[in-house]
Amino acid sequence: MSENILEIKNLTKDYGDFVLDKVSFALPRGVIMGLIGENGAGKSTTINCILNETQKSGGQILIFGKDHILNEIEIKDKLGVVFDENHFPDIFTAEEVGQFMSGIYTGWDWTLYRQYLEKFELPRNKRIKDFSKGMKVKLAFAVALSHHAELLILDEATSGLDPIIRDDVLDMLIDFVQDESHSVLVSSHITSDLEKVADYITFIHKGKVIFTHEKDTLVDNYGILNCGAAVFDTLDKSDIVAYRKEDYQFKVLVKDRNKAAKQYANAIIGPATIEEIMLFYVKGEMQ
Amino acid sequence: MKGVLLKDLYIAKSGIVIALVCLFVLAFGFSFLLDVSSVLMLAPAISTIAVYNSITSDASSKWNKNVITMPVSRDQIIGTKYILYILLSAAGIIVVLAALGILSLLGAAVTVYALLFNTSIGVSAALLAGGISLPCVYFFDPEKSQIVFLVSFIASSWIITALVLLINLFMPVKDNTLLAFYIVLAISFAWFVVSYKIASVLYRKRDIT
Repeated sequence: MSENILEIKNLTKDYGDFVLDKVSFALPRGVIMGLIGENGAGKSTTINCILNETQKSGGQILIFGKDHILNEIEIKDKLGVVFDENHFPDIFTAEEVGQFMSGIYTGWDWTLYRQYLEKFELPRNKRIKDFSKGMKVKLAFAVALSHHAELLILDEATSGLDPIIRDDVLDMLIDFVQDESHSVLVSSHITSDLEKVADYITFIHKGKVIFTHEKDTLVDNYGILNCGAAVFDTLDKSDIVAYRKEDYQFKVLVKDRNKAAKQYANAIIGPATIEEIMLFYVKGEMQ
Repeated sequence: MKGVLLKDLYIAKSGIVIALVCLFVLAFGFSFLLDVSSVLMLAPAISTIAVYNSITSDASSKWNKNVITMPVSRDQIIGTKYILYILLSAAGIIVVLAALGILSLLGAAVTVYALLFNTSIGVSAALLAGGISLPCVYFFDPEKSQIVFLVSFIASSWIITALVLLINLFMPVKDNTLLAFYIVLAISFAWFVVSYKIASVLYRKRDIT
């Protein structure tokens, strides 16, 4: 069994006005990776390339250690995907969806599917068009989890859901990776969700991977230093990841807040959330 | 692939039932007016309308974005529509043949020659029209599929006429009518296969967003 469930090497997609530029990262087994970035950063393009919805211009994508195009059918039989909206024709009932899905996935498990429908309180014989948005997303999860998928890919799947349902979904993801051969790749704008569940964070900005880090490393090490212009001028530029100038002070993102706290006693240093880190990279000024 | 075809059949279910009932009734209606077996010419055209219900439903739900994440190849995704088209054509022919069987028991004149002649024209028209319209609705605007479907059937009647005139250059069609229409049927089938191949190649290169 390959150690990494997903490996992306130098993935490139050229749209002319937007280039996904040599994106590389690896998703180990048994973990949840959050893919973050602003709108248009390249998150969905990356996922579309992984799923071969969009043809890549270059690079290599390995899923379960195999080329994602040469072994496409075999790979997709063990892949669960959930998007931000329902893509099942809404004239169907959940029971009918199960009937045709059983003809698509070799590992389709009716018992498991019905258990999920029950767990999510989804009516089996009600048409999807009468489902709420949350119910539609839950149905997509039920389908994605009922064929014994090993890799789950979620593209903004929790966007637009209320906090209660989002919390259910996050619990589900944590349950899913209890089996250490399973992994989840989650693209989301809601960084607070990722702070709850992700083990790794990959940040994409303007088509490039800025970093892939363990979430705990990010949250434990990154910090925001607040200081005036005088202190700012004394800062070692190599300590500054990015900074933002506000009315009377500078806010500086540093990679090692403990080191910065010792070094700059006159500055106030606090932890940085994933959202703040992302904002600094996107909107801050770089040295 | 079985599951995708099943999904298409579910979507087209009501359309299929209506089309087949219409054909059955039409066969009885025609028996009072003209050669009853001529309904066979219309059978595939009417019964295949339901394919376009499935295509428009796919487009409105963005089903293709979903199915591409499943263990189904792009060739199979396209192939299911072509298979559905053939199945529905066959269903239309079978329903009309059943109606004609009943009518012949009731005394209507139904000859084997007329059955073969009308079936070959009907199936040829359906294959030619499907070969034109299926790629068009897939790659352009599925919302206009019904119009494309009608236009393609008009085009197919022109093509059949042109093919018969062409065959007439090599052999007198009046003396070999059935053979001439079998040749048209073979060409139509070949065109349908080529159309599938072209649609598959184009779909393989297409970004699904």
